[in-house]
Amino acid sequence: MISLLGGIFLGWSLGANDAANVFGSAVSSKMVKFWTAAVLAASFVLIGALMEGQAGIETLQGLTRFTYHQAVIASIAAAFTVTIMTLIGLPVSTSQAVVGAILGVGILNRQLNIAGLGKVLICWVGTPFGGIIIGIIVYKLLAAIANRMNLNLFQADLMLRLCLIAAGSYGAYALGANNVANVTAVFVGAGMLDVFSATLIGGMSIGLGILTFSRKVMETVGKKLVTLDPFSALVVILAEAITVHIYALVGVPVSTSQVVIGAVLGVGIIKGVNTIQRRTLVNIFLTWVITPLVASIFALSLDFATHLRYIPGH
Amino acid sequence: MFEFLFKKEQKVQELIFTYLDNLKMTQDHFEKAMDCLFDFGLGENCDFLITQTHKFESRADDTRYEIIEMMYSKVLIPESRGDILKLLESIDVIPNHFETLLFMIQGQKLRVPDFITPDLRQLMKVSLECCDLVIKQVEALFKKTEDIKALVFTIDSHESRCDHIEREIVRKIFDSELDPFQKLQLKELVIHMGEISDQADRVSRSIYIFSIKRRV
Repeated sequence: MISLLGGIFLGWSLGANDAANVFGSAVSSKMVKFWTAAVLAASFVLIGALMEGQAGIETLQGLTRFTYHQAVIASIAAAFTVTIMTLIGLPVSTSQAVVGAILGVGILNRQLNIAGLGKVLICWVGTPFGGIIIGIIVYKLLAAIANRMNLNLFQADLMLRLCLIAAGSYGAYALGANNVANVTAVFVGAGMLDVFSATLIGGMSIGLGILTFSRKVMETVGKKLVTLDPFSALVVILAEAITVHIYALVGVPVSTSQVVIGAVLGVGIIKGVNTIQRRTLVNIFLTWVITPLVASIFALSLDFATHLRYIPGH
Repeated sequence: MFEFLFKKEQKVQELIFTYLDNLKMTQDHFEKAMDCLFDFGLGENCDFLITQTHKFESRADDTRYEIIEMMYSKVLIPESRGDILKLLESIDVIPNHFETLLFMIQGQKLRVPDFITPDLRQLMKVSLECCDLVIKQVEALFKKTEDIKALVFTIDSHESRCDHIEREIVRKIFDSELDPFQKLQLKELVIHMGEISDQADRVSRSIYIFSIKRRV
């Protein structure tokens, strides 16, 4: 169990941070109570992980061979990367940190599944674009339905709140399905866990992060989404959920924050307003490059450090 | 289907309609009080009707405060909350005008000269029609019963008519041989009465904006 701590920590921090992308706007605007959102999110993350988390785990564990030792190193290196980059205020993605750490292990093993890595890289670049495209489609579809329904103020309000809860739950399901691989895939690769245990432990650790530490992030990050009008916030959450779910089916863990940025950009395109600053786009690009690089350097350094031997007399 | 989950919202909706009922009652008593003043001048009957108008205006105020209190307990999404609070604040100016007008007549012991009474009656009638249309418009916003845009146009044309009548009365007052002090008193009364339709027009436009804001 102790050897799984790196992964569990990753799952916990993922839950604490990423739940804001699915329930943040509803909680920060007090449309849904924090505990209702947290329990729904934690439950659906676990369900998503158990139902559809397998594909991502297969992709990540297939990137290289893992020994027991290397799996632990990869998870600790990824956890270190996420913590340190968050502390110094750099943009970070758990998915990219985990792949970076696996890359480090692959370099040590001199064995990397290039095709698998290519698939992951293409999906990363495609993440914000997926958010944009699905954001536009979801906006058009929901707008057509909403205008056709011709609801009064109270009905529209009620419908919006129900949809936010439903979209948030679906987003949590997609988050669990997509991101559980980040937490425990390396342990499956090393033969320490079977897929079911990996999805169960991964899903539970993400859920734990949501229940114990997501409140503040939900309240602060969620406010950024609330500055959009409520309908656009719903579109962003639903587009994020659909995009992340698609990547879960493809089997590549992606950054939910980058999907959200893409979806916000998509809504902005439809409304003819500039919703994203250039700095945010630069940050995404930096995350693609810096996070895997830092994580692989950490993995290599940790491996090197654990192989140092004290030889008396020299 | 899930409305049982949103009891507070249903309560707010009920309170808004209670508020509208009280507004209507205030309006009806204002109309009766004004008719009494036009027909018989100040007296016991008028005083009673003025007190009744004040009573219903206070009741409307109490309901409004109850709604505001519920709103601050996080009912509805923030945007709807803000819109409803703004709307109530704006509508509430109308019963305040009713009360101010009656207190003005009662406190200053105003006598309306016969030569402007028909015009004042006409101004009051059209202004109160505007108020009825505003109530309809609020109902349309909350129940989708009528076309809000069509009501905006009707209220706007009524308001223009009120402006015209108002100018006509003021002209008649200053053309008359009345005491200059009385002329100013009556001018103030007429301008206050004209404010009713102006405010109804403002409320009507806000309601229209709230409704188009929700179109996506």
